Amino acid sequence: MENTEFQRLPAEELFQKEIDALIAAEKDPIPTGWKMSPRSVFTYITGGKVNDVEITPKYMGNSRLIEIAIATLVTDRALLLIGEPGTAKSWLSEHLAAAINGDSTKVVQGTAGTTEEHIRYSWNYAMLIAKGPSKEAMLKSPIYRAMETGTIARLEEISRCASEVQDALISILSEKRLSVPELAFELPAKKGFSIIATANTRDKGVNEMSAALKRRFNIVVLPSPANIQTEIEIVRSRVSQLSNSLGLQAEMPSEELIENVVTIFRELRNGMTLDKTQKIKITTGVLSTAEAISLLANSMALAASFGNGTITDYDVAAALQGAVVKDEEKDKIAWKEYLEHVMKKRGERYRTLYKECKELNR
Amino acid sequence: MPLYFGIRHLSPAGAKHVLETLKKYKPTLVLIEGPSDLTELMDDICHKKAIPPIAMMAYSETVPIESILYPFAEYSPEYQAILWAKKQKILCRFIDLPSSVFLAISKQRRKQTEQYSNTVDVYQRIAEQSGEKDQEIYWERNFEHRTNAVSYQQCTNIFGKELRELSVDDRYETAENILREAYMKKQINDAIKEGFAEDKIIVITGAYHVEGLKNCEPLTEKEIKALPKIPAQHTLMPYSYYRLSSRSGYGAGNKAPAYYELLWKAMKKNNLIEASYQYLSSISSFQRKTGNMSSSAEVIEAVRLAITLANMKKSNIPTLQDLRDAAITCLGHGSFSEIAKAVASTEIGTKMGALPEGVSRTSIQSDFYYKLKDLKLERYKELEAQVLELDLRENTRVKSQKSAFLDLERSFFLHRICVLGIHFAQKQKSYQEKATWAEKWLLQWTPEAEIEIVEAALQGETVEVAVAFSFKETLEKATSITETAEILESASLCGMPQVVENASIVLQGLFVEENSVIDIANTIHKLSAVIRYGNIRHIDANALLPILEQLFYRACLILEKSCICDNNAVEGIISAMDLLHLASINHDALDDKQWLTVLAEISNRDDLNTKASGFAAAILLERGEMTQQMLLEEMKRRLSYGIPADLGAGWFEGLALKNKYALISRLSLWEQLSEYIDTLNEEEFKKALVFLRRAFSYFTASERNNIAENLGEIWQFNTQQVSAVLNDTLTEIEQETLQQLDEFDFGDI
Repeated sequence: MENTEFQRLPAEELFQKEIDALIAAEKDPIPTGWKMSPRSVFTYITGGKVNDVEITPKYMGNSRLIEIAIATLVTDRALLLIGEPGTAKSWLSEHLAAAINGDSTKVVQGTAGTTEEHIRYSWNYAMLIAKGPSKEAMLKSPIYRAMETGTIARLEEISRCASEVQDALISILSEKRLSVPELAFELPAKKGFSIIATANTRDKGVNEMSAALKRRFNIVVLPSPANIQTEIEIVRSRVSQLSNSLGLQAEMPSEELIENVVTIFRELRNGMTLDKTQKIKITTGVLSTAEAISLLANSMALAASFGNGTITDYDVAAALQGAVVKDEEKDKIAWKEYLEHVMKKRGERYRTLYKECKELNR
Repeated sequence: MPLYFGIRHLSPAGAKHVLETLKKYKPTLVLIEGPSDLTELMDDICHKKAIPPIAMMAYSETVPIESILYPFAEYSPEYQAILWAKKQKILCRFIDLPSSVFLAISKQRRKQTEQYSNTVDVYQRIAEQSGEKDQEIYWERNFEHRTNAVSYQQCTNIFGKELRELSVDDRYETAENILREAYMKKQINDAIKEGFAEDKIIVITGAYHVEGLKNCEPLTEKEIKALPKIPAQHTLMPYSYYRLSSRSGYGAGNKAPAYYELLWKAMKKNNLIEASYQYLSSISSFQRKTGNMSSSAEVIEAVRLAITLANMKKSNIPTLQDLRDAAITCLGHGSFSEIAKAVASTEIGTKMGALPEGVSRTSIQSDFYYKLKDLKLERYKELEAQVLELDLRENTRVKSQKSAFLDLERSFFLHRICVLGIHFAQKQKSYQEKATWAEKWLLQWTPEAEIEIVEAALQGETVEVAVAFSFKETLEKATSITETAEILESASLCGMPQVVENASIVLQGLFVEENSVIDIANTIHKLSAVIRYGNIRHIDANALLPILEQLFYRACLILEKSCICDNNAVEGIISAMDLLHLASINHDALDDKQWLTVLAEISNRDDLNTKASGFAAAILLERGEMTQQMLLEEMKRRLSYGIPADLGAGWFEGLALKNKYALISRLSLWEQLSEYIDTLNEEEFKKALVFLRRAFSYFTASERNNIAENLGEIWQFNTQQVSAVLNDTLTEIEQETLQQLDEFDFGDI
């Protein structure tokens, strides 16, 4: 039965059937605390077929990275997923936890305001004052609960937490014990406990992780979509979802436009033309897939509110200028060169877009 | 039936199992896949002073030189088998086609248009069917980690059989394989006829051939006589791990020789996992040596991760891929670039082979002597230095194409051996500046040159191949555009169009991050020379034009900003502007409009270094983009009362760097200058004087005379009088005054 009340269900509920099928078909040994073998987790993430149940692929990309991630968790090491915005870090972390434990909800959502209590435990102060320190008065953090049950806790956006909060993890990860001095006892982590953290490296306003903490994680860097078809597919589906949920009264951007924008983004991001014949100066901005999505959605909003409902090259040129030229001095040169050396030579398909962009850089 | 032992060349497990099998089987004859006429090299291979990696080499005596190479590492099964046989005093032979036939065949194959090899694809397909992405890894996991000799032998034989089934077709290569097997079969049969017991013969060949050898018919004597042949030489040469990893054409690839050596050592100790420990600790210790933090704890975690990764493929021993991924994750913190150098050092290494003296007579040596003779340079191979003058143009008085371009070919050859670091020829400066077709060389032979040629053998079989390889290496190391442009220029001097093309690709990649207008201008200048004079060296330089355009456009974009600089830096900028100016005149393809716009902008702006602005005006004047009226107005503005004297005079200095005659002939201009000087007070005059004097120092005496005439006319003096004063030697008082000016404090400028 579909639950339609909530915006979004946790992974283990959305894909309950697949998880059940995998568990039923299990043949390989299962690590302590896990619901299925590492191979089945791999199948769950990358897709396949088990006893006539189709397993949808959750992550389309380099499957070797998934192997490394799963192997990391088998060795009871903590896993750190690093990547630019929109590279499916949280998505992957959620599905890993869902497949391994059938529970992806032990999450600490890291922000600049996250405190050490969110990592360890805090108190129910009313009870603390009334009865004094006791286990009942304790409010356990998701990580505390994961240690108790021998499962996986997730820590989102770890680099947004202040350094001292990050540091609280160091001894937990190396000793696998959490001390509660108020009650004079130490909580040992059960077998199967681990942490999956995600972090964003190229964003501004993040705290650099200390070497000591980094050393306690196995680090897997998630890349941007490997090929343009995947990225176009992601952009198209996300733009249409966005415009539906925002109720934008504009036409979807044409295939050609999406491809053009994604091409420009990919080329400037990788510092190379798609056919790899020519290098290009890289801009200071991130130019992620997520940014391409928001660029097109914004253009749609512009066209709907102030235009005739169809995105024009004029709208896109202005949006591109804003997305690409983040640092006036450096990016402008890179962008002008790109226009002259690459876009101009692409012919009819880019002609009007080129003209509009050129106009803005007079 | 003899025992057929299928191996993969360069396989540690193969080496170990071959040795074990030999010890158990106690053959009376060991037959090995390898050119049958090279059997005589075996004694040298086993020489005490011969240290692998070494290679057997055969090369044709005719030109163009064809060559084949059989490299051996310590962990080559063939090498270990030869060593064992020699030690036990058991007869050992190579049984493949003689090298002379091989060379003839490979010469013909070159003429075939079909794609050369499909076995690689087949390997890949087999690997993918077993759930491995990479065939190297497939092989390592399924064969190199096999610790039982019998199961290794069975598995490789089955693998070879499957490989045959998948790759049978009518390609040239398959035909070649059938021929080779039939020949080998004949050799085996001959040995049996000689009286060796059939079951005491062991045949060590590539796994692919085992099935063929078992079933094929031998060649007849008559057929063998009919095989094509070219006269050939053979020798041993020292080899290197680097070379072994960079050329994977032979048999199977061996991309990580140093790692395979680790495997071999661990294999000998019957403790395979030790190779994994060694690999990861070696990366960690390299990191430490190069100043990066790397702890033992990280190595331990990496080992655990690698083993878990192997477990996921149902194996206990990590493969190279598992190890490398674990190293990236734990030691490289997720990024390969952090440990790339450590990985290269651990997987490839720098090991070089060695041979006893006098053993090596490589093809590059004979190629060198052949070229000397062919280019009629033999008489220059003397201990006394001799001069050789070359005229690169086509000699129209001779008949053959070859002698028409003899000097050009000589020039190519001499440039090439210079690149290889062979001290035989030295290029002399040519005094005819404009003569692009003349070259002067000093040739002198030294005994060291001979050694240098042998050393060059590691880079390739012929001079040309070695030079190409050497260029490839320097190109890979190049980090700046000026460096790359030099390589490009040098490649064009060596007559190597392919290298020119590769260098241009590297150049394009490098200039993306280039922000120095001076470097860009120098690069443009070099490229421009290659483009303009390339045709005399038969280099098609049109491919370089797009890069020239891109560089020029970049220069246009950043030139203006670069002109904000002090008086020391402006000299460089001005020479860069001059080079760009030259390029814009010489190449129509460049964006001239953009260039003139930038110049006009620099000329008009007041906040740039005034000398640069003056020079921009000078170029515009020369190009006819600035009329006399405009120049006068500009001069009025630049040299007006209130403008600091050093700025005004600096501008004039820049202007005077070019088209002096045009300036001298314009009387109104000097009137303007004279008026300006009148407005200066004494202090300002002193400042201006320094700049003006410097500006006039670029003029010749007669030009100064003309200026004097101009000024004389303006001031209504007698021309001769003025000229006399101007050209007179300085009096002591004047000299002293000038001395004081030199010590003048320019700190506030």
